[in-house]
Amino acid sequence: MKGNELFNLQELLSRQKLLICFSGPFSHSVIEELGKAVRNHLENERIEKSAIMDVFSVYVEQAQNVRNYTTSRETLGRPIPANSGIVVIGKEDDHYVVSSGNLVEADDVPGLSAMLEKLRGLDKAGLKAVYKEQSRKPREAGASGAGLGLIDMARKATRPLEYSLRAVDDAYYFFSLEVQL
Amino acid sequence: MEKLRIEASSCSPLIDFDPAAGLLRIDGESYPENSFDFYAPVFSWLEEYLKDPAPAVVLDIGLSYLNTSSIKCMIDVLEMLDGAHQKGRTVSVRWHYDSDNDRALDMAEEFAEDVSLPFEILAH
Repeated sequence: MKGNELFNLQELLSRQKLLICFSGPFSHSVIEELGKAVRNHLENERIEKSAIMDVFSVYVEQAQNVRNYTTSRETLGRPIPANSGIVVIGKEDDHYVVSSGNLVEADDVPGLSAMLEKLRGLDKAGLKAVYKEQSRKPREAGASGAGLGLIDMARKATRPLEYSLRAVDDAYYFFSLEVQL
Repeated sequence: MEKLRIEASSCSPLIDFDPAAGLLRIDGESYPENSFDFYAPVFSWLEEYLKDPAPAVVLDIGLSYLNTSSIKCMIDVLEMLDGAHQKGRTVSVRWHYDSDNDRALDMAEEFAEDVSLPFEILAH
């Protein structure tokens, strides 16, 4: 990348008050190392331990969701083109905001948006009820997660989950998710 | 029955189950690459053990962080123990948490809600 483009990119990142940004293929070791960096950074900010754990856990859920989705498409023999996702952690006023973006198959869009709309319409008690219901369901064979990640993020968030789904081509959408803590 | 011991890693907890003493320990943080793969040997060990456990079984949990798929695994572990409790076995849980970390307390309380076995939550 040319020097002035790199400058522009960093300008954009710092205007958004981003603390950490990762874009590229997610491996488990990337998720782990970046997680350590996030925690070290927040520990130096001298914020409460519970707030550090909230940011860290939302980051882990988002990064593992991106990774698990990518891995599941590979298993199905339909690898996602340009195997990459993005996770960013920023600060808006007094709130930390954890966001992620990745490509999803067009067929998964209706289910994903229905789930997010449902969660957006629930209050804390409703979210807890959905969480308990999901956590008691038997695990699906071959599933890499328990279907609890989005619900857990919605419970930790201080405002409803924000998301967008933008068509990239006939087969893929770019899914972005923003969680404010 | 053999002991079950899995050393802790940076993203998976120590598992230390002593069948004769009835002392089961899970300690650390849990967000492995695949939680279901990680906990599979724990499930199969417990399934076998709970057929004929020690007179008194205590599970000591010191988990400071679990991702959601590990939470699901821990619910399944607690349900197995709760099943043994309901069949009249003496089984209890002691959940240890760091008093600086409110989230760990919230989490412990949610786990305790779903089981009927004796469940102590201890601050350190």
